[in-house]
Amino acid sequence: MPRVSHAKDLEIIRSQADGRKSRTRLELVIPNGTCCQASGSAALIDAVRAELARQGLQQDVSVRVTGCLGFCEQEPMILVEPGNILYCQVSAKDAAEIVSRTVKKGEVIDTFLFLDPVSGKRIEKEADIPFYKAQSRQLIHMNRFVDPFSIEDYIATGGYQAIAKALKEFKPSAVIAEVKASGLRGRGGAGFPTGRKWEEAHEAPGDEKYVICNADEGDPGAYMDRCVLEANPHAVLEGMMIGAYAVGASKGYIYVRREYPLAVKHCRIAIQQAREYGLLGENILGSNFSFDVEVARGGGAFVCGESTALMTSIEGKVGEPRAKDVHTVREGLWGRPTVLNNVETWANVPSIVLNGAKWFASRGTERSKGTKILALTGRVKNTGLVEIAMGTPIRTIVYDIGGGPKNGNRIKAVQTGGPSGGCLPERLFDLPVDFDALWDAGSMMGSGGMVVMDDKTCMVDVARYFLKFLLDESCGKCVPCRVGIDRMLEIVTDIAEGRGRPEQLDLLQELAETVAEASLCGLGKSAPNPVLSTLRYFMEEYKAHVLEKRCPAAVCKALVTYSIDAEKCTGCGVCLKACPHDSITGEKKKPHVIDAALCQRCGICIGECKFDAITVL
Amino acid sequence: MLQYVNVTIDGAPVRAEKGTSVLDTAIHFGICIPHLCHIPGIHDMGACRLCIVEHVKNGRSKVTASCTLMVEEGMVIRTNTEKILKMRKNIAELLVAQAPNSKAIQDIAVRCGVKEVRYPFRNEDCVLCGRCVRICKERAQAHALGFIGRGKDRHVDHPPGRLMDYCKNCNGCIMFCPMSVTPCGGPMKKGEERLCGQCDSQLNADAQKMPGVCVWCELGKGFQCTRYLAV
Repeated sequence: MPRVSHAKDLEIIRSQADGRKSRTRLELVIPNGTCCQASGSAALIDAVRAELARQGLQQDVSVRVTGCLGFCEQEPMILVEPGNILYCQVSAKDAAEIVSRTVKKGEVIDTFLFLDPVSGKRIEKEADIPFYKAQSRQLIHMNRFVDPFSIEDYIATGGYQAIAKALKEFKPSAVIAEVKASGLRGRGGAGFPTGRKWEEAHEAPGDEKYVICNADEGDPGAYMDRCVLEANPHAVLEGMMIGAYAVGASKGYIYVRREYPLAVKHCRIAIQQAREYGLLGENILGSNFSFDVEVARGGGAFVCGESTALMTSIEGKVGEPRAKDVHTVREGLWGRPTVLNNVETWANVPSIVLNGAKWFASRGTERSKGTKILALTGRVKNTGLVEIAMGTPIRTIVYDIGGGPKNGNRIKAVQTGGPSGGCLPERLFDLPVDFDALWDAGSMMGSGGMVVMDDKTCMVDVARYFLKFLLDESCGKCVPCRVGIDRMLEIVTDIAEGRGRPEQLDLLQELAETVAEASLCGLGKSAPNPVLSTLRYFMEEYKAHVLEKRCPAAVCKALVTYSIDAEKCTGCGVCLKACPHDSITGEKKKPHVIDAALCQRCGICIGECKFDAITVL
Repeated sequence: MLQYVNVTIDGAPVRAEKGTSVLDTAIHFGICIPHLCHIPGIHDMGACRLCIVEHVKNGRSKVTASCTLMVEEGMVIRTNTEKILKMRKNIAELLVAQAPNSKAIQDIAVRCGVKEVRYPFRNEDCVLCGRCVRICKERAQAHALGFIGRGKDRHVDHPPGRLMDYCKNCNGCIMFCPMSVTPCGGPMKKGEERLCGQCDSQLNADAQKMPGVCVWCELGKGFQCTRYLAV
């Protein structure tokens, strides 16, 4: 076991890794994150390994199992290097063909290549795929070079050079100055300047300080923290080490939820390896800086992503937020100064120290620097993790990276920032994605979820969905959040079910504003955002529900009626048999009719009808 | 030796004892901030949010609960701006809709100027103010009560789910419960809930004109205003 006690040792490990790499002819990168495993990557890896062994190619070809490469929709995939050839949606039974044709003969197998849904053409190289092309990848790009189980892989990519540089060349205050100059802001959602946070913790009195990595990601539809932590845990560790050195902490925690078992496992292995290499512990790299990290597992409460709730949870108490009039940088974990940053924030730190603040600040807008990973989901053609430079317009993300609407529908809105964020209408799609622009528009960056909605989505229903989520996840400590969300949900449910009264819209607005201001913690304060933003941009939909008792997207069941288009109906009788409520009647080969009184609006008939004869209005 | 800091509350410069909360200071100087979950001498949790104030700092005002806000030198606090009054009224309305069968909450609603309740009444027995939990923990030192569950499932109970030996039968929880006294007209059945509002007349004309000033209103006795407890 090599022990790294000097920066030179890192160089030695690096050159050894380079040497090993030069001995292999070909490298197969197979991502195996949680999302990849869900689509069957583990079986693929076994099959490829077995096939390589069968054909006696293990010496020649190396297989690197990495974290997710971002294009989750196309998994499982194999990236063939050199050549940058990407095979999408391959399964274990394709392993033999890939090994014998691509690995052995160097052929490109056309059928496994990515089929671009926009142009309808096969694309050979990963870099040419529009989904990847329009992005600006820094963090996710590293994933392909690193096997999360191998610290050597990370060192080979220049890992732990940043902490070596910081310890050798920088004083703690110089590190803080560098991070401040880079303009890095917290990636967890609020966008607080990281350098300022560190500075305050550095200046706070006390010998014992802590750094925490917040990996309690709970937004529906957001999983970038899981991806980074699973794929590149050492980058997070290194960031935390630099942060600890800067603020004077000697102990760190990674707070990660139990729902992320793979992330927990990778973190623990990474910490263990770093300890064995002497990169965590006493006198790191021959300096007098000592630091150790522990994994704290959370139970999966959304509210534990709030800094004070997270800290009480680590202390072993019920995870509830407390008043933050005294900031956690002064009184945090166990009453000591504590720096809490998001996974992505920590992972960005090493490159800032290594490449300099100027390099980092070269991307992004004036007040939001660097890149941000977004989880692009919803009604677009390409979904997955997207890393863009701050300031990229929403339109680029939705249409260029996402490939535009699925099924030819019109895209209506995009929901950013998870349950705490808001919905932005299509006419604001030229808005740059940065902290302040989104905030001013009534949404927020949040952790970076981005859900695209088309005209088949009802905005009242969206507000209702997020309120339900928040009602379940509110800790229940303070009245505005607990009772306020409950009442907002009551009103929105009334509206969605056709009982809405016009004065309820004003009440909803007033209540949402009260909850936004008077709640105890940041989650309560941002909880009404889904309501406020939909009221602001989609008032006409609310009005349609309340005044005309009509759901424009035909989603709210109480407000729609199903009917059969007599001209299109051939009288085949499929719907009649499928209807579980016996609401459809008609003779064979004659148009059928739906009895509105019996119809439960389940939508089964729509799925069954082959002639698009059933309309929902 | 006691240390003092200078604080401005509603434009009035006051000398506050260091280590006290803004709420305690305000009440001490006769500034009315309605409150429910606060009990003097017991740790505040900031649950009811009725005592919200505007804390002006560097030209920006931040809404925060005054019970958990400790006084600091040079602090500027506004307790009864239009914005605060509106939000406080809304919170009182939420509370009274949730638990109309409490004299304390009905009185608070009157004090906060609630004239109508726009939410359907629910008639619940507990508003989770946590007074009982904290009295049990801190004054009786019995730890026989606690919060169980999260969000809408949150409720107060004996932590293992049944009454344990370590309850000292001190009755502190009942004494401090805002739900233990029903409105003057007697308990309201389901479907008969209403905003009581009878005590409106007891709130003399001065109180209407000066919402920010403590007028020793009769209502205070009802909701166990700490000014009465302190005397």
